[in-house]
Amino acid sequence: MYNSVTNRRSFIKKMAILSAMTAAAAMFPGIVFAEEQERNLPKGSGNLEWKKAPCRFCGVGCGVLVGVENGKAIAVKGDPKSAVNKGLCCVKGYHSVMSMYGKDRLTKPLVKKNGRYVETSMKEALDLIASKMKETIKDYGKDAVSIYGSGQWTIPDGYVASKLFKGCIGTNNVEANARLCMASAVTGFLTSFGADEPMGCYEDIDHADVFVLWGNNMAEMHPVLFSRLLDNRLKRGVKIIDFATRTTRTSMAADKSILFLPQTDLAVANAICYEIIKNGWVNKSFVKKHCNFSKGLTNMGYGLEDKYKFKDKPEKISFEEYKTFLEDYSPEKVEKISGVSAKDIKYMAAYYGDPNKKVMSLWCMGMNQHSRGTWINNLVYNIHLLTGKISTPGNSPFSLTGQPSACGTVREVGTLTHKLPHGVVMNPKHREFAAKIWEVPVENIDPKPTYHTVEMFRALDRGDIRFMWIQVTNPMVTMPKLKRYRDGAKKEGRFIVVSDIYPTPTTDIADVILPSAMWVEREGMYGNSERRTQHFEQMVQPPGEAMSDTWQLVEVAKRMGFEKQFYYKEDTHIEEIYNEYRKHHVGKKHNMAPLAVLKEQSGAMWPYVDGKSTKWRFNAKYDPACSNGEEFHFYGKPDGKAVIWQRPYEPAAEEPDAAYPYWLNTGRVVEHWHTGSMTRRIPVLHKAMPHAYVELNPDDAKRLQIRTGDKVKLTTRRGEIVLPASVNERGVPAPMQVFVPFFDENMLINDITLDSFCPISKEPDYKKCAVQIEKV
Amino acid sequence: MKKRLGIISLFVILFIAFVVVWNYSYETGKEEAYIPIENNNPTPVIPSETGVFKRSKYALDYANMPVDKNHERSLKTYYKNRAYHGAPPSIPHKVEDRNMGDNSCLKCHENGGFTAKFNAYTPVTPHPEMINCRQCHVPQNTQTLFKGTNFPKLKAPKVGINNALISSPPIIPHQIQMRENCLSCHAGPSAPKEIRVTHPERVNCRQCHVINNKETKDIGIFIKEIKNE
Repeated sequence: MYNSVTNRRSFIKKMAILSAMTAAAAMFPGIVFAEEQERNLPKGSGNLEWKKAPCRFCGVGCGVLVGVENGKAIAVKGDPKSAVNKGLCCVKGYHSVMSMYGKDRLTKPLVKKNGRYVETSMKEALDLIASKMKETIKDYGKDAVSIYGSGQWTIPDGYVASKLFKGCIGTNNVEANARLCMASAVTGFLTSFGADEPMGCYEDIDHADVFVLWGNNMAEMHPVLFSRLLDNRLKRGVKIIDFATRTTRTSMAADKSILFLPQTDLAVANAICYEIIKNGWVNKSFVKKHCNFSKGLTNMGYGLEDKYKFKDKPEKISFEEYKTFLEDYSPEKVEKISGVSAKDIKYMAAYYGDPNKKVMSLWCMGMNQHSRGTWINNLVYNIHLLTGKISTPGNSPFSLTGQPSACGTVREVGTLTHKLPHGVVMNPKHREFAAKIWEVPVENIDPKPTYHTVEMFRALDRGDIRFMWIQVTNPMVTMPKLKRYRDGAKKEGRFIVVSDIYPTPTTDIADVILPSAMWVEREGMYGNSERRTQHFEQMVQPPGEAMSDTWQLVEVAKRMGFEKQFYYKEDTHIEEIYNEYRKHHVGKKHNMAPLAVLKEQSGAMWPYVDGKSTKWRFNAKYDPACSNGEEFHFYGKPDGKAVIWQRPYEPAAEEPDAAYPYWLNTGRVVEHWHTGSMTRRIPVLHKAMPHAYVELNPDDAKRLQIRTGDKVKLTTRRGEIVLPASVNERGVPAPMQVFVPFFDENMLINDITLDSFCPISKEPDYKKCAVQIEKV
Repeated sequence: MKKRLGIISLFVILFIAFVVVWNYSYETGKEEAYIPIENNNPTPVIPSETGVFKRSKYALDYANMPVDKNHERSLKTYYKNRAYHGAPPSIPHKVEDRNMGDNSCLKCHENGGFTAKFNAYTPVTPHPEMINCRQCHVPQNTQTLFKGTNFPKLKAPKVGINNALISSPPIIPHQIQMRENCLSCHAGPSAPKEIRVTHPERVNCRQCHVINNKETKDIGIFIKEIKNE
């Protein structure tokens, strides 16, 4: 008897080990583990079920498989079937499910009463929000209520937000944090091509011969795609050029690292075009058939003052005029401005100009968070247009994104003040189209855009906005010149609702905190940087009373009397909303894949026409929307031609001077995503990167007698902050420059950054302001 | 007489005043004999990035290399010639003196390979740029001890328990100063079998494997209290 029990026990134990082994082997197909390596692996009990989802974190949109056991998500592996990552993830992705189980997870609504947060029921909290909104509209008008969302909103979240505010309430006070990261990419696309989002896709990486990274620390910020670059280098010997202001992990891996002075990428891009024209590398037939030349206004200012307005006045120019303009940008002249040697400029130009090399340009925040963000986007497109290296496999200017659905929700659903799901509020036809699908009177949709993000927070400070609902984002960490906006939000007579999953500096300013259901605790869709829409089902129950942002909005909309428009049933609302949303994008230019397809495969790339994703837009061979009978058709513009823009170099809003002699640059690290509100609650990641720091150039550090770990005070015209120094560690800034990662809510670097923005895109420049540093 | 007395008492007063002032300034100017040691809150170390990609050009070769089971190193032998976890390994073979690392040690230890003489694969150094090898690595010319030692050895981290989740990549359980180049120890025929990476071709190792600061200081987890005014 005794024996049999032992045997049974050991049998069960062996079975458990075996199942863990099979689970492990399934994770890394074709790889046999050394016995020693798998012996101590944490063991699942064998009820593990794998379900597909896009990763919760960055804009790459890796396919992951989430291991669910007994109602808990306990593991993640890369989805080998996903065309995005082919089974590989980064450290954040592999630990992503742990972000749902932090100890301080919000599970009940909290309402602020006499300075204290009191737990209430969800019903009571939603009642309060609806009545407060109605009251604010009655007292101050509809433009006094606003919603601020994010590129982490799922498509249904953003869609119902837009429908409620723009369609039903009738205010264009809808913005999202993607304004702070992607707006310049959008205006870049719109001005150059008339249609948003990249023409190419990630597959370009497998075709290109040369990669130029424009201010993009891809090894840390888009690690899975960067691995694909490295993979191609090992197998095909491609070249990687890191063109940046700071030496990073990417520079270490690159074949060539070229440093430029902040803001002078404008001049260098023009110098590359100068070289291309001078050496006769222009693809003349392409330019003649498919391009126009234009110039816009210059000396636009920097948006530092309240109610700043700017409207560009495009004016057509000839190729000859453009050529004359470029005379000021010979490599020798630009060398003096940019600190990049003429030789290096010619080196890059030669790759772009070589007709036998396929070139891919990649960029993200370096070019977008730029006080001339739209211009630098235009200028890089110029290079690709002049050489005709665009819209073909491997020839691709590619704008990367940072949030899982910056493209899918903010750019495609259009949760920005001027946007509608299809088109813009200023266009009467677009308004009519949206109103019909939304079943609202067309007069409901206001034809005038209101506030972009920075101006929205300024309006909150001024009192023009009285009610703000913030969902899935953390503006009290991310706003530039943060102190002004934090003080503004705390003023008397403001009502702030924050929907989040953890306490953050943003919940600190809230009057009502709603606990949200995140990611696979609900159903939803994300859209990544390569126009790929991906679906995820609900896999686990949200904790406590936590509710999806979509359903929070639907509940409030119903309470405000919009039952007709918000007819969705609780069980099927995501499907109903998605099907309604698809109607906005009908047509060959933007068709979205049906939900059944998204459930079946790892996403689909729009335009999804005749059951097929479109990999390369504007190319007649791949894109069914091309209709001019030519090889290429830039159908975003009325005449079907892309625009080569004449954009000069202009200095940044605040450059170093005698009082503030250093450049201050901000950015991110591989371990943390955004403000770290999720990744810092993952012990593995927190222990790897516990706090922010200030990176100094070793020469500067030596002169100032600063060593790693010493406390350093950074002072700008906005204020001061003390951070530990980092010398020769993760990254090395150029002389007279410092770098601070901005994930750390205990060391808020944005308290001292500047709120200057690109006048066209209204996206702030977080990467450039003047700072003084001293050892304390 | 009176006048003289006045002058004398004036000088006396001046002298007393001088003594008092001098004493006062001496006392206040006195410094403590030592500068108190401030307890520095140690900052967890973020490792340097130098050398992360150094051997990546060999990654494909590593991936395609067949495993030579007969000459595999194991962690047991790996730690055998280290005094404790993290100590520089001693040199387990005879070496000639009067040579700098770059023209002797590195000949074999820069890229490794099979050495018939020792019937083993040569371990690859993660820091070939430091050529004064014998500053840290010394041969063991005798097996006997002078007096014996009670040195308590710092234990090496265990393999296979460093994953947070069943499928997640293990964290790096050791400090990586001077060992930034992962492939030199974790790939190739000289890598100990327990820690040989199954996928050396994924050269951006720290995309998935991050350090853990537990070795310098356990910093706990991150949470935030709801603030009531």
